[in-house]
Amino acid sequence: MSLFKLLRARSLVPHRQLGIVAKSKYDFDLIVLGGGSGGLACAKEAVDHGARVLCFDYVKPTPVGTKWGVGGTCVNVGCIPKKLMHQASLLGEAVHEAVAYGWNVNDQNIKPDWQKLVKSVQNHIKSVNWVTRVDLRDRKVEYVNSKGAFFDDHTIEFVPKCGKRYIVTSEYIVVAVGGRPRYPDIPGAKEFGITSDDIFSYDKEPGRTLVVGAGYVGLECACFLKGLGYDPTVMVRSIVLRGFDRQMSNLLAAMMLERDINFLHTCIPDSVERQTDGRLLVKYHNTTTQAESSDVFDTVLWAIGRKGLIEDLNLQAAGVKTQNDKIVVDASEATNVPNIFAVGDIIHGRPELTPVAILAGRLLARRLFAGSEERMDYSDVATTVFTPLEYACVGMSEEQAIETHGVDNIEVLHGYYKPTEFFIPQKSVRYCYLKAVAEINGDQKILGLHYMGPVAGEVIQGFAAALKSGLTLKTLRNTVGIHPTTAEEFTRLTITKRSGRDPTPASCCS
Amino acid sequence: MQRQLLNTLTKTLRQGQTQMRLFSVSSLQREIFKVQSTEDFDKKVKNSQTPVIVDFFATWCNPCKLLTPRIENIVGEQAGSIKLAKVDIDEHSELALDYDVAAVPVLVVMQNGKELQRMVGLQDEDKIRAWVAAAVKQAKQ
Repeated sequence: MSLFKLLRARSLVPHRQLGIVAKSKYDFDLIVLGGGSGGLACAKEAVDHGARVLCFDYVKPTPVGTKWGVGGTCVNVGCIPKKLMHQASLLGEAVHEAVAYGWNVNDQNIKPDWQKLVKSVQNHIKSVNWVTRVDLRDRKVEYVNSKGAFFDDHTIEFVPKCGKRYIVTSEYIVVAVGGRPRYPDIPGAKEFGITSDDIFSYDKEPGRTLVVGAGYVGLECACFLKGLGYDPTVMVRSIVLRGFDRQMSNLLAAMMLERDINFLHTCIPDSVERQTDGRLLVKYHNTTTQAESSDVFDTVLWAIGRKGLIEDLNLQAAGVKTQNDKIVVDASEATNVPNIFAVGDIIHGRPELTPVAILAGRLLARRLFAGSEERMDYSDVATTVFTPLEYACVGMSEEQAIETHGVDNIEVLHGYYKPTEFFIPQKSVRYCYLKAVAEINGDQKILGLHYMGPVAGEVIQGFAAALKSGLTLKTLRNTVGIHPTTAEEFTRLTITKRSGRDPTPASCCS
Repeated sequence: MQRQLLNTLTKTLRQGQTQMRLFSVSSLQREIFKVQSTEDFDKKVKNSQTPVIVDFFATWCNPCKLLTPRIENIVGEQAGSIKLAKVDIDEHSELALDYDVAAVPVLVVMQNGKELQRMVGLQDEDKIRAWVAAAVKQAKQ
């Protein structure tokens, strides 16, 4: 190993902090690697309990050069821009519906201004980046915009913009570096394809887009692109929404099909090349029929999964155990090294969601610096897929309930419903559906709730708290619904799957 | 001498016109400039005996886009008694944070390295004009 300058981090600490005398043998009480949802929540909670905290954040540019500011995936290339684009596409639908409601708008050939949408979304993101920086400053979290790597189990080494190498020590280290989209190992993948990292700041109109991948990222992207007037095709390797309830996933795919989104089932891409006219030729084959095909697109978006960013951490220097590309932790987010922890998307086998990372990060900080013993509960985490008819769920899928309880010990109540607002514009209600999975005995504890329809996330959020409190079918039935809403349908569930009765309602209220 | 000439010319041209911009570009550049670096800031703002209004703005901030031309106009009217330094808070984040910039736009009046006063948020032109005039007066004392 070559010799390099070892300078104490004290030389990088801005003048305003020079008054602090080092209380311990370490420069900091906590170093957080990663300024995203989990990292920032942990860092801010820690300073609230008196810790001296240093937070590293760094974004490696994508193959096409996209990068972003502090705040992590959610703020920059995840939840936030996704929700804004989803909203943009819903508003396009709303213009058409408005005509049915009597508005004198010309809804013929309406087209979104993609550049304007991207600019608005990016302006919002940048304002959040700034607010994040101000918040870190106000809360006295030291922040460095550079990659941090392990030098040993208490030491992080980094190279900021000035080019000099520094090391800094800490009693505790929390790894919260998150993940990034995967690229397939095929010719042209990186040169010609983009990912969710790029789409939200894409400087040209996506046009005819091939979305490879049928997880929620792929489906959400395909749906907002369709809603904005573009022409997406979804290439599915095997099944849609792996890990989610099968029936609901198939319903969601059918809903997308009804909206003229093309699917290429059981297909995988083989290569991407650029034609002379600038468009992209994708060669792929069907794994069921072995048929080889090709097609031409303007944009290819890889949404085939995300990998944990362990590659630049030099975890070996600290001896931290990993599995695949994620860090292994126990029920208290501790790694195999006593003073090193991990939160968020980087940890193995936990839901990759912002609110999960935030709560886990906060609870961890409280355990480290406030003497708390409370651990993160990763069960019954509600989630939503933001497609035009959204799908939200909390608790078990039907298959999970059958597996854990046995098919004879569960009752599934279900029904299709018709949102009041859909009648006038004659919007399709074909996929407005919900179900409750419950125990069959006693008060019938609810094991899982599934809802497809408008504002699914808003509908399910309250029920998630109810489920955590031990919601039973008895209580649900005795809850008076709010009318007219779609959420009230949960209080009106009477038809069981077991009975075989038609779950499609004839009329509204009776 | 150049200043007097400009003032005379400006007064003459102003007759019969509602709004007038100084048309001598080189002089304007000295009075209104975009900060390029911390060193640039130190040289042209902190070490300036002439009071300087620092316009902290962001490219993603709509009120900032409205404020900057207004303050440029008004500083131009002051004909050299006060300067304008524009700071992009994304390009110079540490500098902005050092001056406690949270919400933007923020206008900070500096003289001889000291902050005299600041104004946060977009205001209408009359308010800004009055504020600048007061700042110039305060700086003279």
